[in-house]
Amino acid sequence: MNFREKTAWLNVVAMLAAYSLYFGLLLAGHAAGREVFPMLWLFGSIAVAHAVIVIAGTVILSAQAPKSERARADERDRAIRRRGATTAYYVLLVGMMVVGVYMPFVESGAPLANAGLFAIVAAELVNSAVVLMSYRRGWHG
Amino acid sequence: MARPPFTNDIRTLRFLAGEMTQGDLGDRVGVTRQTIAAIEQGKYSPSLEVAFRIAHVFGKPLETVFQWDETGD
Repeated sequence: MNFREKTAWLNVVAMLAAYSLYFGLLLAGHAAGREVFPMLWLFGSIAVAHAVIVIAGTVILSAQAPKSERARADERDRAIRRRGATTAYYVLLVGMMVVGVYMPFVESGAPLANAGLFAIVAAELVNSAVVLMSYRRGWHG
Repeated sequence: MARPPFTNDIRTLRFLAGEMTQGDLGDRVGVTRQTIAAIEQGKYSPSLEVAFRIAHVFGKPLETVFQWDETGD
């Protein structure tokens, strides 16, 4: 498994862990699901923890990887990244449409922001999944 | 993932070029070792530029390195 594949796995695992906790707490009745300030605190804490884990993991993976693997992305890496981003775009597009439809039925901004956040997380997970699948199974660009 | 409608002899040509490694070829072509491995396995179709660069490294015409597979399409 090369360096770029490992960083994609790191992103998936960190994002799944961070946002499973976040949305799990919302489903369990945390105030962040209804009120703006608790939502900002919870989201802020989880986003910072997520960022720290990804940065620390990337630093460790970079230190372990041979220099040749850390070189600039080549045409295959870019083709795979484009494929992931293109697929994720449609997930985000549909997610934002759902948020738009949901908007008239909510009174505060918190549920709406959480719905938007869920769409972004889903799109990012799809992006990473497509990237990982393309590295494993091949992609002709 | 469907295989591309062409095959290649990169592995053989590397062997004949003094057992050149995938990493060496990748360095000379400007791609990673993993990309050379993916091309050899038919998991990635290189751009025309990279295909020409690979052929140039071996001093062979393009059609000696990549062959259209009549049965594959």
